[in-house]
Amino acid sequence: MTESAETGGVAARLRDVLFSYDRDADLDDEGSDDSVDPDSRGGAVLRGVDLDVPAGEVVVVMGASGGGKSTLLRTLNALIPGFLNGAFDGDVEVLGRDATATKTSDLAEQVGTVMQDYEAQLFGTSVEAEVAFGPENLAVPPEEIGPRIDRALSQAGLGDLDRRREPAGLSGGQKQRLVFASVLAMRPELLVLDEPTSDLDPLGARNVVEIVRSLADASDGPETIVLVTHEIEEALLADSAVLLKDGRVFRQGPTESVFTDVAALRESRVELPPVVDAFDRLGWDREQLPVTVAEAADRVEQSDLTWEPPEPTAPAPAGSGGDPGEVRFAVEGARYSYDTDRGPVTAVDGVDLEIRAGEVVAIVGHNGSGKTTLAKQLNGLFDPDDGRVSWRGRDVREYDAGEIGREVGFVFQNPDHQIFEDTVRDEVAFGPKNFGIEGEELDARVADAIETVDLGSLADADPFALSKGQRQRVALASILATRPSAIVFDEPTTGLDAEQQVAFMDLVARLNREEGLTVVMVTHDMGSVARYAPRTVVMADGRKVADRSTRELFADPEALDRWQLDAPQPVALSNELAARAGREDALPALTVEEVVAGLGGEPAADDPVRGGVNR
Amino acid sequence: MSAAPTLYVDRDTFVHRLDPRAKLAMVLALFVAAYMFEHPLAVATPLAVALGVLALTGGLRKLGRIKVVITALFLAGFLVWPAYAPARGPVVVSTPVFDLTEYELLFALGRSERIVAFIVSGFAFITTTSNEEIVSGLRGLGVPYAFCFALGTALRLFPTFLGATGTVKQAQEARGLDLSAGGPLQRMRNYIPLLIPVLMTAVRNVNSQSMALEARGFDTDRERTFYDRRTFRAADWGVTALAVGVVVGVIGLWWLGVGQL
Repeated sequence: MTESAETGGVAARLRDVLFSYDRDADLDDEGSDDSVDPDSRGGAVLRGVDLDVPAGEVVVVMGASGGGKSTLLRTLNALIPGFLNGAFDGDVEVLGRDATATKTSDLAEQVGTVMQDYEAQLFGTSVEAEVAFGPENLAVPPEEIGPRIDRALSQAGLGDLDRRREPAGLSGGQKQRLVFASVLAMRPELLVLDEPTSDLDPLGARNVVEIVRSLADASDGPETIVLVTHEIEEALLADSAVLLKDGRVFRQGPTESVFTDVAALRESRVELPPVVDAFDRLGWDREQLPVTVAEAADRVEQSDLTWEPPEPTAPAPAGSGGDPGEVRFAVEGARYSYDTDRGPVTAVDGVDLEIRAGEVVAIVGHNGSGKTTLAKQLNGLFDPDDGRVSWRGRDVREYDAGEIGREVGFVFQNPDHQIFEDTVRDEVAFGPKNFGIEGEELDARVADAIETVDLGSLADADPFALSKGQRQRVALASILATRPSAIVFDEPTTGLDAEQQVAFMDLVARLNREEGLTVVMVTHDMGSVARYAPRTVVMADGRKVADRSTRELFADPEALDRWQLDAPQPVALSNELAARAGREDALPALTVEEVVAGLGGEPAADDPVRGGVNR
Repeated sequence: MSAAPTLYVDRDTFVHRLDPRAKLAMVLALFVAAYMFEHPLAVATPLAVALGVLALTGGLRKLGRIKVVITALFLAGFLVWPAYAPARGPVVVSTPVFDLTEYELLFALGRSERIVAFIVSGFAFITTTSNEEIVSGLRGLGVPYAFCFALGTALRLFPTFLGATGTVKQAQEARGLDLSAGGPLQRMRNYIPLLIPVLMTAVRNVNSQSMALEARGFDTDRERTFYDRRTFRAADWGVTALAVGVVVGVIGLWWLGVGQL
């Protein structure tokens, strides 16, 4: 990447930018009160942003959920103030143009945008038509569009894709790469990426990260990239980092410098890179803190630290407090197929599985591997075409919906697919009322569930006005109020920031330990798997390809590669240290605390999870 | 995992390869035939042609999605139309309440079939023509681009909302919602837990799509180009000529009283 001469080395310049999604908000009042939780604060989202985005750099913007990251990006492509209604004040200059006086569609000639929800960004019925759409809108001559399509698909790693294919039939990762190709075909100078991997499985996310990496190195790619992400591995691709806090720039600087500033990261509620966290807890100076796994392993080798891997008897860090009890779910030879235009497609292909009372079991695998379909068979949402699924020894098909719903709760990925009532209290009462609970018992159950998810002060709030993390907790409370003995979670942490993820999963782990709740979680979040699930089932092509202790699974890097699962940093670091010491048979650490203990440090005295947001 | 949710069937058949304008001409010809004929056997001809096209192009499976709507419209028409037909000819059904003559029966059958023929012919067009082709085809006929694009987007969003409805239904059923419980009024109320989340999802989706469209340079006030400019080939001219022939033939038959009651 090269520096932009026309803007004097600055791709975008923001001065004293204020914005509220409330059109009637009085921006003059937005001032000094920083003590309010940004996740629950109303009013202005941007509260005086001053920022220079250096031309020719990859810049990552991070901060807590609700802290204004996506809103900030929307000023760079002129969605704010031109397109989105709200109260705005301040100056935004993008690539030499006054973005506050430019239409988004006009700025699209120079600024490309990739958002999180790839489904909402696909308009075509073929790959080729999709990539051509942007250049057509920019009135690029038809004879130039063909070469642009070739180049953009190649840049997005889709050069071999059949161009007649319908985007709807692609995997999630392919769809997001197609969005990248569609934007790159417009030849933007500034590329704005708003959590582009949040909805992707590990393989899809890895592919997107590769695209960003190659664009950053390419001579004909966008000159400048601004990226919002919660993922630390993606953030480390950047040349510089910006931390937002309470709607303002809190810290900005070279990536390594920002991500070793533990105090700034904590204060802005950004996840500490696990190796930074580990070495900080070991008492290392900030200047010496490693950021990557390789750096951390080098530091250990160069110091007097020695690596002691966990013992085979080491307990799982969280979840499953006691010994598993009797068999609750028994899946025997289950099969399930979907009808498609091209005939039936087998999603679950002869799976056998037993889950016992009080277990926490993770089901992992790529999109399309059959994990969600399998999970939906556990409570009878899908009946197997063949084979049998039983709960407490009885075929789930023999239960009526009320019976099985009372026993086995199902928390869907998107809480907005269930919320419809006017208050949190009514929403939480919906399930138990359907199951015939009423009167004082209903009130007690609802109050109990709301308290359990820590939403007591919001019991009468409109659930639609809550943050995503809070809505996810409402969805959980609505299931807890039915007092199930097992809950199946489908991607419970998607869309939550690091702190919200930890809070939510800590709550689930506590319910497991204290109430004996059986937990099955379908997830892509390998950090949560490591910390919370002592046992992991791996699905691939509808089959169960592994079912073992999570620690043993993570001790097998070849297997992780084979199933294209990403090990979280603590696992990767301990595997690397074991390999360097010639102890390939050693078990890995699953959490930062175990890394610290393995390197001879003391576990943190405060809550190890909340002390710094980490997994 | 789910099936590709659009109505378009991604195949490479002769019908798929036709220019959308040629396909529209043929659909129009089938409409004219279904409209001009009255006798159910005659109206069955354009219906059979449309069903044949669907069978050849893989669209019959998709037709299953709207079979309830088609059946309901057919039955409703069949029940209502006798009231608008003269009671001519022999009585074929006699009840204490009403008599149904042969003419009334054939009239009602023909009219109900006509509605089904319209729907199936249009469906054959949609399942063999991608959104881009619909847009470029309509635009080739002089329809403003903004309208064409809005139509294409609506066609695309329809199956998306169907998918969201399915997920919402699962989520509420997992919380004990029973859509079939209670009397008629209660059953209508039972749908509120489905409608609100689907509506909210739709609003969010449309909002996200609008932003994405703007960010991709979409602007109806601005000139744009079209990459996939189709040329009207010999097969397209042939089908168009056939469509004109069908229209002329149908009008001729109508003139001669063929296919009328």
